[in-house]
Amino acid sequence: MLLLYRCLLRLYPAACRDTYGDEMISVFRDARDEKRAKGLPSLTGLYIHELTGLLQGALQEQLRTLLGSRRWTLFPLRRFNMRSEFRFPKSTTMLMVIILAGVVLAIEKAKAIQASLPNLNPPIGPIRPATFTFFPTIALMFLFFYVAGAIGWAILFALHRSGVHRLGDIDSPAQSK
Amino acid sequence: MESLPLTEPVLLILLSLAEHPRHGYSILKDVEEVSDGRVMLSTGTLYGALRRLLDDGWIERFNEDDTTRGRQAYRLTPSGRRNLHHEVSRMKQLAKIASLRVARKET
Repeated sequence: MLLLYRCLLRLYPAACRDTYGDEMISVFRDARDEKRAKGLPSLTGLYIHELTGLLQGALQEQLRTLLGSRRWTLFPLRRFNMRSEFRFPKSTTMLMVIILAGVVLAIEKAKAIQASLPNLNPPIGPIRPATFTFFPTIALMFLFFYVAGAIGWAILFALHRSGVHRLGDIDSPAQSK
Repeated sequence: MESLPLTEPVLLILLSLAEHPRHGYSILKDVEEVSDGRVMLSTGTLYGALRRLLDDGWIERFNEDDTTRGRQAYRLTPSGRRNLHHEVSRMKQLAKIASLRVARKET
């Protein structure tokens, strides 16, 4: 488990990992030793909690590095989390974290593959213009409008489900008196 | 920069450091104890908050000399203590108003 924890720490930006990595591992080890004494369910709970927290933390740190600390303060996710009227569903957060982890791992993998391969790019031949016939063009246009219509319908459906169209029916306190 | 009102994890971390300096694991345990087991910080959440507080100059990091493990410990800076004091005053004021309003509604 400690190995997995160390691997996931690699999702953090290097500067952050260098400063806090050893400390985080040490704290995780202390928490693990304590929970181990309490039994397996307690230990499993800790592992799930820690791994989720670690992925969330990595996402926030990567965004902070990407956007810069000044801009990052405009999006304090933790603060939103604490407000009862606006909460990110846990599934959304988890999905975002999984996507980020996938992207970071894919980038690392691509770098490794690129470094291992010799530069054997074949010479590019003469570029020929793409030839569109009439019927494929019509089919493409149909597909485009179909997708645009589906997106529009989805937006309207989502707005309808949110009840936003009923806001106009609400009387203000002054009117209701 | 951390701004008032503070989020609950940040407030609990600052309260944990208000008495005396602590290292990471000690903060985790204290937050859990103070919140009666309701708030359990993960190491990712804890160190994210600590890093922001360090960046804003609310806390500072130093080497613990009296332990063999040479762990890093954290303590409040004067600015952090002042901000914590403001937050506690704000909460007191809010609690006072809330009590008055609830009492008024009950009578």
